Amino acid sequence: MYKLSHHDLIILLASMSAMLIFSRIASELGRKLKFPGVMGELIVGILLGPTILGEIAPDFSHSLFPKVGNVSIALDGIVKISVIMMLFVAGLEVQLPLMLKQGKAAVYTSSLSMVIPFLTGFLVAWFFPNLFEIKDEKQHLLFSLFLGTALAISALPVIARILMDMNIFKTRIGMIIIASAMFNDLLGWLIFSFIISFMSGGASTVNVWYSIASIIGFGLFMLTLGKKLIDRALPWIQTKLSWPGGVLAILLGSCFLCAAFTESIGIHAILGAFIAGIAFGDSVHLNEKAREIIHQFVTNIFAPLFFVSIGLSVNFIENFNWLIVVIILVLAYVGKVAGAGIGAYLGGFTKKESLAIGFGMNARGAMEIILGNLALNAGLINETVFVALVIMALITSLSSAPLMRKFLELN
Amino acid sequence: MDLSRLKKRASFPFETIATAVAFSPRLESILAETKRISVLFNTNLVLIHIGEKTTEKEETLDKLIEKIGFDKDKYRIIWMDGDPVDTILKLCKLNTVDLIILGALEKENLFKYYVGSIARKISRRAKCSVLLLTNPSVSPKKFKKIIINGVDNIKTIHTLRAMVYFARYEKTKNITVVQEVNIPTLAMTMADSNTAPEANKIKKELVQEESIKLQAMLDSLDKMDIEVTMKTLNGKPGYAISNYAKIKNADLLVFNSPDTHLGIFDRIFTHDIEYVLADLPCNLLIIHSRV
Repeated sequence: MYKLSHHDLIILLASMSAMLIFSRIASELGRKLKFPGVMGELIVGILLGPTILGEIAPDFSHSLFPKVGNVSIALDGIVKISVIMMLFVAGLEVQLPLMLKQGKAAVYTSSLSMVIPFLTGFLVAWFFPNLFEIKDEKQHLLFSLFLGTALAISALPVIARILMDMNIFKTRIGMIIIASAMFNDLLGWLIFSFIISFMSGGASTVNVWYSIASIIGFGLFMLTLGKKLIDRALPWIQTKLSWPGGVLAILLGSCFLCAAFTESIGIHAILGAFIAGIAFGDSVHLNEKAREIIHQFVTNIFAPLFFVSIGLSVNFIENFNWLIVVIILVLAYVGKVAGAGIGAYLGGFTKKESLAIGFGMNARGAMEIILGNLALNAGLINETVFVALVIMALITSLSSAPLMRKFLELN
Repeated sequence: MDLSRLKKRASFPFETIATAVAFSPRLESILAETKRISVLFNTNLVLIHIGEKTTEKEETLDKLIEKIGFDKDKYRIIWMDGDPVDTILKLCKLNTVDLIILGALEKENLFKYYVGSIARKISRRAKCSVLLLTNPSVSPKKFKKIIINGVDNIKTIHTLRAMVYFARYEKTKNITVVQEVNIPTLAMTMADSNTAPEANKIKKELVQEESIKLQAMLDSLDKMDIEVTMKTLNGKPGYAISNYAKIKNADLLVFNSPDTHLGIFDRIFTHDIEYVLADLPCNLLIIHSRV
């Protein structure tokens, strides 16, 4: 068994310490200015990574965050586990019944807020591949599918926070936005998992159908019989095992098991974690305190490690291309606001309310960055597109609340 | 079928009550319970049997009717063939039934739950109020502990009015209106950039907001001489109240009729009244306010 050397361990611990402490300071400062936490974490990554520290003190930057070697591998493992856990907690909050309860308006809003941005992204990438420097024919289709998905996804945590701050969370508008964002996330991650598995697997047709059949079977099992088993097991786990250690261990153990399963059948591990999250999160027996602990644990420890690592791996100045940033921003705003807005209007909302719903759904936040990072690692997009996606995620998140206020005529 | 009589018809007073006659071992107790309620509200009664009319069945029913002591002028029997659910629902509409009383098992096996039993199918689709009796008795007792779902919905005020009417006839002094507070994504939102006092304040405000709405509704309700108690529960809608009814040994749990047509997806991704139908904690009354 390979082991980290004494020196490697010191570097790993020092780098993780820097990532966590600086990102916490940045997040706290950002909180005062009402910025999403992820923004501070990204900025720390940019400051510590090749963009700033790498330029000013390259030797120090490389020694603290080495690009090769054991420390790099260890850190990569931690970041991958972080993504899996982040998708698990995202799944915990997807409440499929909420979508069913919202009726016609939710059906229109959620489906059009998915379809129109998807088509916007797909068609632009399909007909203008040169804009994104796509040359390979196989990659052309996959990139088009990816861009469609990236524009269709929403960021539930940011959206929920905005609605709570605006005091409209429990209103009809709030519930429609939440239910539609959940639907977008669910479908978006499902599509993305398939795209990424096509990209990384070089899968044959037989393998693809096997993977699709397996994931459908797995999803159905987890959301029916699996959910019943969880409902039976959770009360026992929460009362008979040590609290809260027992339930946390079982939850994360199940998350990793499901992630391992989907990875083994050729679909990305994130989908298994996401589905496991949905199955556990939907259980009425999942103690609210356990849910809070797991969210705190993942959001405040693993998520910062992931978001800081993004800044560490990409040079944001070198890869900044204003044309691609503008294109992606325009596509993001047009697709999402039009899609969700038309859907809401057809669902019975007024024009102003529909526009407010459109801008509310437009916040991409952390989910977009996770999606972009996975695509970058799989070689599906280049760093320029990734930087544009990160900027789009931040701008859409920051602009959501003021634009919603404007159309809802709130102070 | 002319259904104009049903449109906007108030859920109370009850004028016509129906029950399904299934010739099961519980038939006598269901008929006894139906008679008590019918006498209580002074209503007409329709006994519906879906299936072949045989001499044996007629004799059995006549004997039971005589034993229980139905008022001859107040009831009639309808014998009809066809799909039990569709036919019962159709007959309820044709006869302007205000309340149908059915026997129901507390819990059904997984397959039957997903497929749906007759009583539960009627509960989901009926255009009149439905009373599901879990443990009908040949010596019926009045409903003393009544718990009502105080969900934030346009129908709730009608349900509350109907239950004040119900409680007055039943001579129940107190009814409890339960509000379930569930804030999806709260744990996730609070985990990100909130201090503990801030998170608690946000939670408290969201809960308070819900309570104020229900309190305003209760203030506008003409309670007559009925004492109305408000209770707030944290938890998933449907499940929390069901659990509460079980713990409190309630006699009757009251829900609004479903807003949408409930299908198999609502059973797979259980929510609201489906939690109650999955495992009936006590007798269930679904008020159809026809709004």
